[in-house]
Amino acid sequence: MAVDMEELKQKILEFATKKAKHKSKMYIKDLYKADPNAKPREVKKAANQLVQEGKLEFFSSGSTTMYGVPGFGKSEEDQFGKLEE
Amino acid sequence: MADVKKHDTPKVDELKSGPWPSFVDDIEQKGLSGKQACLDLLGQLELSYTHKETHWKHGGIVGVFGYGGGVIGRYSDAPEKFPAVAHFHTIRVNQPASKFYNTAYLRKLCDMWDHRGSGMTNLHGSTGDMVLLGTTTDQLEPVFYDLTHQMGVDLGGSGSNLRTPSCCIGKARCEWSCLDTQAICYDLTQTYQDELHRPAFPYKFKFKVSGCPNDCVAAIARSCCSIIGTWKDDIRIDQEAVKAYIGGELKPNGGSHSDRDWGPFDIQKEVIDLCPTKCMWMEGDELKIDNRECTRCMHCINVMPDALRPGTDTGATILVGAKAPILEGAQMSTLAIPFIRMEPPYDEFKEFVDKIWDWWMEEGKNRERFGELIQRQSLQEFIRRAELKPIPQMVKEPRSNPYVFWSEDEVEGGWKRDIKEFRARHAA
Repeated sequence: MAVDMEELKQKILEFATKKAKHKSKMYIKDLYKADPNAKPREVKKAANQLVQEGKLEFFSSGSTTMYGVPGFGKSEEDQFGKLEE
Repeated sequence: MADVKKHDTPKVDELKSGPWPSFVDDIEQKGLSGKQACLDLLGQLELSYTHKETHWKHGGIVGVFGYGGGVIGRYSDAPEKFPAVAHFHTIRVNQPASKFYNTAYLRKLCDMWDHRGSGMTNLHGSTGDMVLLGTTTDQLEPVFYDLTHQMGVDLGGSGSNLRTPSCCIGKARCEWSCLDTQAICYDLTQTYQDELHRPAFPYKFKFKVSGCPNDCVAAIARSCCSIIGTWKDDIRIDQEAVKAYIGGELKPNGGSHSDRDWGPFDIQKEVIDLCPTKCMWMEGDELKIDNRECTRCMHCINVMPDALRPGTDTGATILVGAKAPILEGAQMSTLAIPFIRMEPPYDEFKEFVDKIWDWWMEEGKNRERFGELIQRQSLQEFIRRAELKPIPQMVKEPRSNPYVFWSEDEVEGGWKRDIKEFRARHAA
């Protein structure tokens, strides 16, 4: 049975926000736990839609990509400093 | 000339003293023409040589809207000393299949990068992308806009995505190619746009396409899924050309290695004795091949290209799981499908890809390459999930493991035995 995408997105967002309090970056595999009944491809699709909506954000090391919740963990500016104009 | 500041870089300058052209010269020249980032990069390199540690930090949230790959964040950890490389992000640009460019495109790309970035490029990265080295976060969207709207190219893959598929020169220039490598590469790139730009996997995944078993893109050593051209029928032999090679009228190896006198061409020593399966012999002045035994090593074809050619009933061999040595050492691809037709729309191949991706997405650990999943869960499990039939060619080494593991449903009666009935025939 196809999952309801909006419902899945809500579950992922709740799961990620809860987890982000302890660990600000998570792998796509961690997000599978948000809904054990959803297929990996559906979770990936929902997570990517959440990124488009600005509710999640990507963190890429170059070799691996992780997901974060905006506002949790160090911001780009905190970590790397603001570029002088 | 723009006002630029050159750092004192005695250690880095040593690299200019060797016999070969040095990247230091190139970067310095670019810097002195007005790019402070190039001079700051050399200054930071000098500092790294002094401290014997890197001064780059990499990774971050940087990217372009809607994409989870293609941009790799990089920052200096000594921004006060080297402000022009405080932000120094890398952008991967998806190369056209077989890397065919025209000069107008390259000129436009370089002009854009001079304007929006450091002006430094790397053609090409290991995966094949054009690599634009060094820009600031605020330039990422304008660069992306220029690439996609003015130059008609896209970002390549990075992170836990499908990486930019790459292919050899193929039928465009190579008469040995058994596949239209460019068509396959382009089709895979378009079909898997979502996987290329939005992270879907536990780690990176690479497709590489070689037109023949010479494997010029080293697909067998570098890609999670290698597509290598092959043929089903017989090697085509032109017996007159064979005689011409033996008689010295045609130069072996297409005239390569001719800077030294190797003596007259000896077909026995240079071709027949080197055949790994010993499937070639001479009958009088005719070359014979037992094609059933040929392993497609390509040696005879490479040595005598005018006399021997791959067959005409062509397709691909699919291998999976190559990787570089991070865990468990380097690994070459393992054979999955000995022969598959590779004709558009490549449905049979794509069905195979869907199955192995489903397995990897479900079972792969974080940062586990596809080849490592096969290593961890067994080739047997791979075969089961890919719905393939086991064949002898999948065996890595004969008799390295004397046990055959059957699953219960493959054995008549399963694992349950009537012990009394057994003991009636066998004393305890």
